[in-house]
Amino acid sequence: MNVIVKKKKSSMDLLMRSLLNMVSFIFNHIPSKRKYLKTAEGWADLAVGIRTENYTVECGIVFRDGSVSVTDTIPDGRDVTLVINNDTAVKKLLSATPTDQIFMLLKSELRVDGNMTSMLQFFFLLSLLLSKKQIKQMNKERVTETKDILKNSPKERKDLAAEVNSRKQKLMKAERIDPGVQFLDDPYLPEYTLDDFPRLRKFLDIHLTRKPEVCPELPSLLTQWHRDHGFETNEEGKPWVPALRKAGAFRYLMENRKPIITDDYIIAGSTTSKEIGCVVYPDGSGTFLWNELLTIPHRTYNPFDISEETRNLLHYEVFPYWKHRNFREWVRDKYDNPLSQQMDERYALYFNWKQATISHTIPDFPKILSQGADGIIAEIRDELSRGDCDEEKRNTLEAMVLCLEGLILYSRNLARQAALDAEKESDPDRKKELLKLADICGQVVGGPARTLDEAVNALWITWIGIHMESMNAGMSLGRLDQWFQPYFESDMKKISGPDEKKAYIKHAVELIGHFYMKCTDHFPLTPDLANFYFGGSSSDQAITLGGVTPEGNDAVCDMTYIFLKVTEMLSIRDPNVNARYMPGINSDTYLKRLCEVNLITAATPSMHNDSAIIKALAPMGYAMEDIRNWSATGCVEPTLSGKHLGHTNMQMMNMVAALEMAMNNGRHPLTGLDIGPRTGLPEEGDFRTFDEFFSAFTEQFKFLIDSSIDYNHKLGEAHQYIRPTPLLSSLIGGCITKGRDVTQGGAVYNSSGTAIIGLADVTDSLMAIKTLVYDEKKITFTDLKQAINTDFNNDPALYAMVTRKVPLFGSGNDGAVGLANRIASWAHDYYGSLPHYRGGKYTTGFWSMSNHVAFGTLTGALPSGRRAGKPFTPGLTPQPSASKNLLDNIRDVARLDPVNMNNNIAFNVKVVPGAGDPQEKIVEDMFSYAKTYFDLGGMQMQMNVVTSDILRDAMAHPESYRNLLVRISGYNAYFVTLNRDMQRELIERAEYDI
Amino acid sequence: MECTEKAKLNTAGAVDTTPRHRNPLILEIKGNSLDDGPGIRSVVFFKGCPLSCRWCHNPESKSTGPGISHDAAECIDCGACVKACPERAISKKNRYFIDRDKCTLCYSCVATCPSGALSQVGNAMTVDDIIEVVSKDIPFYNTSGGGVTLSGGEPTMHMEFTAQLARSLKELNVHLLIETCGLFVYEKYMDLLAPFIDMIYFDIKLFDPVEHKKHCGADNTIILENFGRLHKDYQTGGTYILPRTPLIPGITDTRDNLTAIADYLSSLGVTKAALLEYNPLWGVKCEKIGEENPLGPEAQGRKWMDRDHVEQCRSIFRERGIEV
Repeated sequence: MNVIVKKKKSSMDLLMRSLLNMVSFIFNHIPSKRKYLKTAEGWADLAVGIRTENYTVECGIVFRDGSVSVTDTIPDGRDVTLVINNDTAVKKLLSATPTDQIFMLLKSELRVDGNMTSMLQFFFLLSLLLSKKQIKQMNKERVTETKDILKNSPKERKDLAAEVNSRKQKLMKAERIDPGVQFLDDPYLPEYTLDDFPRLRKFLDIHLTRKPEVCPELPSLLTQWHRDHGFETNEEGKPWVPALRKAGAFRYLMENRKPIITDDYIIAGSTTSKEIGCVVYPDGSGTFLWNELLTIPHRTYNPFDISEETRNLLHYEVFPYWKHRNFREWVRDKYDNPLSQQMDERYALYFNWKQATISHTIPDFPKILSQGADGIIAEIRDELSRGDCDEEKRNTLEAMVLCLEGLILYSRNLARQAALDAEKESDPDRKKELLKLADICGQVVGGPARTLDEAVNALWITWIGIHMESMNAGMSLGRLDQWFQPYFESDMKKISGPDEKKAYIKHAVELIGHFYMKCTDHFPLTPDLANFYFGGSSSDQAITLGGVTPEGNDAVCDMTYIFLKVTEMLSIRDPNVNARYMPGINSDTYLKRLCEVNLITAATPSMHNDSAIIKALAPMGYAMEDIRNWSATGCVEPTLSGKHLGHTNMQMMNMVAALEMAMNNGRHPLTGLDIGPRTGLPEEGDFRTFDEFFSAFTEQFKFLIDSSIDYNHKLGEAHQYIRPTPLLSSLIGGCITKGRDVTQGGAVYNSSGTAIIGLADVTDSLMAIKTLVYDEKKITFTDLKQAINTDFNNDPALYAMVTRKVPLFGSGNDGAVGLANRIASWAHDYYGSLPHYRGGKYTTGFWSMSNHVAFGTLTGALPSGRRAGKPFTPGLTPQPSASKNLLDNIRDVARLDPVNMNNNIAFNVKVVPGAGDPQEKIVEDMFSYAKTYFDLGGMQMQMNVVTSDILRDAMAHPESYRNLLVRISGYNAYFVTLNRDMQRELIERAEYDI
Repeated sequence: MECTEKAKLNTAGAVDTTPRHRNPLILEIKGNSLDDGPGIRSVVFFKGCPLSCRWCHNPESKSTGPGISHDAAECIDCGACVKACPERAISKKNRYFIDRDKCTLCYSCVATCPSGALSQVGNAMTVDDIIEVVSKDIPFYNTSGGGVTLSGGEPTMHMEFTAQLARSLKELNVHLLIETCGLFVYEKYMDLLAPFIDMIYFDIKLFDPVEHKKHCGADNTIILENFGRLHKDYQTGGTYILPRTPLIPGITDTRDNLTAIADYLSSLGVTKAALLEYNPLWGVKCEKIGEENPLGPEAQGRKWMDRDHVEQCRSIFRERGIEV
């Protein structure tokens, strides 16, 4: 770490202390504010230090036993110290909105040393005094920004919005019928549009217009139970077995949450008590909302409503209870704020997801559909009755039973509610539906499903339960077409007349439509930081369609096309639809339909090559039939359905940071962290060959990886203690027989998956260094470094050379592809060599959610000529300047070795249909790209079918584009909900005319 | 070179313009083309053309010889080329940057230019060179029903070379389309090239021979004859041929010209033709290769075509039963 020379205090110190004195006066003397200091846990106990890096400011504020005092130094036993860069940043902080505060944190103008939750609590107390001003300022900023954008495109282009909408009107017909399709006359179902489903249209309208609201139900019930039964120790003062504690709380939550049959739905139950709710998980990242409780309805991106009652509940009851009982603070307390955690909290190096959740897996739904929760309980009891149960096994299995009982209690409550609603219902048709729902919920989820309606309801109830246990972030649904098909078939076989059959198919479309819309009844609760990091992201509930069966046969069936029809009609961001395609086995008819749906929705489904995924996973030692049963998880990552805890989004790793550190002898420029190994400086002539520099890069990368894995293991331990997931464990193969929770390695297969960001940027940068400095010797490394330090402003000729004379990844150059493979292979081998806390391996993925924008913002200029602060390329997509020819991109990406990419990739392609081209021609062209890419071995591809003009128009006139869907890197989002940087990144992506 | 070829053409009436002494120059091989025939295609642009149409959209393709191009928009004004030029042919004061009278095409400047503003126009490529580039995309041709399009310039100007290339591509089972101005020796074409060609896009620009000579630098008698023979060949089971007419404002898009062409096509029993909409961006290309932009600042040719006008042009053909 740097050695700091303490400077004399400045005038800012005085200003800061006067402000703190004012704060302390108000909280000491004004009852309407003072009341906020008294929580259900007693008086707010909080000591905050504030200083600048060189101590020109140093003071503190202490809240203790209801009185507040200001200190001249960092208070003893402080919970947290805010370390501010310099006096200028102090000034900025004093007038900052909560969003600004987060940005200062990201840009390293401010860092937090200590308990992050305490800092957010302190910020909330400040916002009690400042919120009126803050809200006014936030509104003003928004208005100014909107005005600026309108200035650039004042005239709305109605024709552009009309073009996108008109795509839904020209539906193709299937050329052939796949062998697995038994009942659909035309699998493309062109006879239906959304107009045939007025209820779906209504739900969609609600989804797109209703502001989501923070739901207090889960945190309230959970906190209540723990207050009664304890957290660390039980009522008798004995240490709790974490799994049993979690199961007790879960059962209570499920039994006591409100059973809701939402108006007009033919699926019972809801994830929250609000029409569209955000779930607060206080043991995860919930407390991250503390500082925003007053301002969250007013922020620009993804504002949420919050009632006075909920705000008070969270501030007084919930957050104080969980202040130390969350993953992040548990690790901090136990391991004394470890460096690996501090590095994560600078936000520019890596982001580890376990601080919020694990989720990211695929439960064994076929099991609960076919056996019911009762059947699983019976299986567990059977296991318990064997003599060989150790204590952990017995506890784990008993916890599973409690959770499954909770699930059954909830479905019974739903059955009762449906019957009550039916009594009050005056519309006879709806009454019939409600009575049917009462019957369905009487059967499932305890008993096995017997019809498609029962199966869909059972799955939804289970899904709710899973989300009451784990956060709604990346938990995924799996191969729903495969798993619903048997129920659809058996229903269809009972129907004889052609009209009845047709009506039932329409019912199935509507049922799946209701299921999609139910999946949108909840939002992940994003703090403003997440708007920057994961802007516009939904819960990313991935559904996987098509591909091959575990035996390797064509899996495309009636339900595949029913799901595609619903995807096409609704064009919503979540569920995140992923389609598998096996070259040589799946039909052209199917792949064309995927392309047609992609064209109509502009962004979905994402397409995967089964043969490449199989190649990538085969060396992992998994059974082949399990590999063939893979499903996409969260964004794109493969999980072996129902048997695998692969925490596939364990981290977002900024690989470019390693490159920056290699050029700076281990120092990271933006954060100023000087912590990496001493690998040398280019300007000192420390790298005689390109390989020497490459080694410096891998040394730094290794350092970042080691740190992030250290933090992952510590967070993994926190999960084992704070949030075991017995319900999920009962639905993941291996856990029952082993008698271990999934967090303890109970699953048959274990792994954690990374998302490595910046493969194209790092490859191109290394190509520039290799080509110009070492191979052709056209420039010196010192010149290049100097140019980077000035963001290339000092040397336009060098900038031109770097950007024009270097063959990039995606240009069809063998050297660039070779280098990309070398980097990917190094990363794969190194991650793969590391021990894993649950057993299993670390896997490597090259996709980025939206972090190519976030990390890009926090990164300086690069040797590739990418300017400071600009986004990286999404996933591993080549730079727009790599080639004018899309085929070069496609060929190069397909030449990457799948073995190194066992957590999948995201390859974005923005294609632009020619004006007036017939829709069939556009689909044919998309089909040709996709099919050839897959034939060549490419792993994954996602197409955005929009022009930059459309996106620019949408930026200025969002009201005409509410559901304009875009693929970021792995997930879908509504373009109009993205932050401005992300919007610009999408506009600037290379676009290829078709 | 261009002049002598034209002279040969004019005096002899026969049109054997093949420069035999060396391989033709290739301007560019453009991959992923979706507008030059069916499916995904690679287009090989040959340098050199027996016509000299005033509006030629690829002015750099008219002459067979090599050239040099300077793109002012890409130039970062670093001066590296000025220093590199042994002939002192480069100066910002020159009207087109390079004094082409002094330039010996040594390309020293191209090698030093960091931005790529300077570039060589026309590369000598062997058949194998071209095959290497286009064969990378064979998987795309196969899934999309695409292939290679021979274009230019005029690919038939180098009949032996083109035939060799076509034979090699055919051996790889690549679908071949030729885009031609129609001015070639029919027998030679049939003898050397036709066996490998799957599809012909054939330009008929102006029907009136005098107008044709005026605007395109040569008489169109042979062109129309060739078209007639090839179309007959198609009607009797030969290679598919599609007549195409570029719409050039005030020159080819007149009612008289289009009516004459449409009548002619209809008399031959043609049922499908293509009208190519005018693209005004070609003017600036002239400046890059040191020629005056023939479009004055206010010229009609600076504008894109009016939708209604294009529709009127199409209707002339449609009225005669020709799909466009």
